[in-house]
Amino acid sequence: MTLRHRFRHEVQAYGFLGPALLLLGLLMVYPLLQVLRMSLYEVNLRKEVWVGLGNYTALLRTALFWQVLWQTTLFTVGSVVMHLVIGMGLALLLHTKINLRIRNFLRGLLIIPWLFAPTVAGMIWVLMLAPFGVLNGLLTTLGLLDPNATINWLGSPQTSLLSVTAMNIWRAFPFFMVMLLAGLQAIPEDVYEAADIDGTTARQKFWYITLPALRGIILTVILLDSIWTFRAFDPVYVMTGGGPINSSQVFATVIYFDAFQKLQFGYASAEAVIMFLILFAFSVVYVRRAVREIA
Amino acid sequence: MARESWGMRTRRQVAHAAIYSLLVAVTAIMLFPVAWMLTVSVRPNVEVMKIPPQWIPTVFTWAPYLKVLSSPRYMWTFVNSYFIAGVVTAFSLFVGALAAYALARFRFKGQRAVIMFLIITQMFPLVLLCIPYFRVVVRLGLYDTLTALIVVYTTFTLPFCILMLRSYFAQIPKDMEEAAMVDGCSRLGAIARTLIPMSFPALVGAGLYTFLLAWNEFLFAVVLIESWGKRVLTIAIYSLLAEFVTEWSMMMAFSVLASAPLVVAFIFLQRYVVQGMTAGAIKS
Repeated sequence: MTLRHRFRHEVQAYGFLGPALLLLGLLMVYPLLQVLRMSLYEVNLRKEVWVGLGNYTALLRTALFWQVLWQTTLFTVGSVVMHLVIGMGLALLLHTKINLRIRNFLRGLLIIPWLFAPTVAGMIWVLMLAPFGVLNGLLTTLGLLDPNATINWLGSPQTSLLSVTAMNIWRAFPFFMVMLLAGLQAIPEDVYEAADIDGTTARQKFWYITLPALRGIILTVILLDSIWTFRAFDPVYVMTGGGPINSSQVFATVIYFDAFQKLQFGYASAEAVIMFLILFAFSVVYVRRAVREIA
Repeated sequence: MARESWGMRTRRQVAHAAIYSLLVAVTAIMLFPVAWMLTVSVRPNVEVMKIPPQWIPTVFTWAPYLKVLSSPRYMWTFVNSYFIAGVVTAFSLFVGALAAYALARFRFKGQRAVIMFLIITQMFPLVLLCIPYFRVVVRLGLYDTLTALIVVYTTFTLPFCILMLRSYFAQIPKDMEEAAMVDGCSRLGAIARTLIPMSFPALVGAGLYTFLLAWNEFLFAVVLIESWGKRVLTIAIYSLLAEFVTEWSMMMAFSVLASAPLVVAFIFLQRYVVQGMTAGAIKS
């Protein structure tokens, strides 16, 4: 290719990319720089005062910040681990030699929770977990709970985070199930047949054939889910609003409240920058994997 | 293979029966919240708050649905959600297809950087973007407008569309487009006549998922919208919680009406979405 030809080629490529890059640049890069700048100021609706790293030092000295970090981690790890366990279990069950129509039908039904808006799913669970709700009703019927001592799942600090996590587990496990099932279906049948001839047990097949073959997908879905869960806002906001007394507060909600209720935009920006850095550390692993795959 | 012995056959049948019953049991448990939403949506509100809860409704009524459907305020939120999700989907697919084409068909300087940028944008905490968006949107006079929501929604739908369409385009051979170009089509004409029709499954899959993301979004809508005339479904449903006695049956009826169209669309078109979602991951 001549140099001129090559140049035309590149111009054309950027011509096609132009609208998307321009839009995303404006919508992502500029705001990120803004937040970095604001995190160094005390910002409210009227004034901006330079405070240097003041927001950051104040933040790191606040007990609530560490509590939120811990709670967000619990929420994320709990969700991701249970997504993997339930998703893997169901994918393995659906992958057995059952009737194809029944399999597709059940897969279709099991995807449904994932289609609900987190807001709507949250509302359904708020109703089920209410003092008069079905969970207390079930526990009473089973004799596990005294009818006069109903548990306020979302209203007590001991159970609020657990309840929100349970809802999130329920809503998003189908993503894992679908991905892992597709992964299982991509493993060639003859590998298992060869193992059968060698007299391998089912357990050995799972540990030595299935799991290694799914390694790539498992890693990808765990990384993606960790990132999505770590930044999640809707489940906590609609179910508990972070309460009672911050017992279910996560990063996304605490940043929202600091910015839009307390109107401390600078302080909230500093929190957002720290959250971004944590997410970025997660993401580096994922980004490197994904880029290697594509480019 | 020799005929199975009786023992093996019964063992296999028992195993099958166990798998089926386990699957059905788990499906029933997982769908219980959905079933509960449906039964609550056809009860009078007083029945919902009885202790102990009534598993089977004794009084049946359509009133909660009628309350939602007869309220112009709530019906507007449907219009707004359809409008926003529709425009966001069309726009993301169009701009996304152009960018995906460049990434799939050209080799150019900075390609790796562009792909990396697109992947990183998917990891952004959206709450971080909210703070500057709010300030800019207010300054531009776009606060409480659907335009603001449509624009900011593309931050999370566009990168996804580009990456998904890119992987599909890359699998389609260049020959067809080149043949069309030799026959006198412009490059854009060739894309429109060959590549786009051949990528139909990917466009349906990416389109449906984009629509779902926009339809279900909540955070940006909380921050950027205020008046009832501009609210979307997720906000309207949540707002029913705040008012003094929670209208549970009406809220559930509203939730059913808001979720049903997408659930039905997905069940019929699930293979496109599943194909698109899993295509990238399986190759690794």
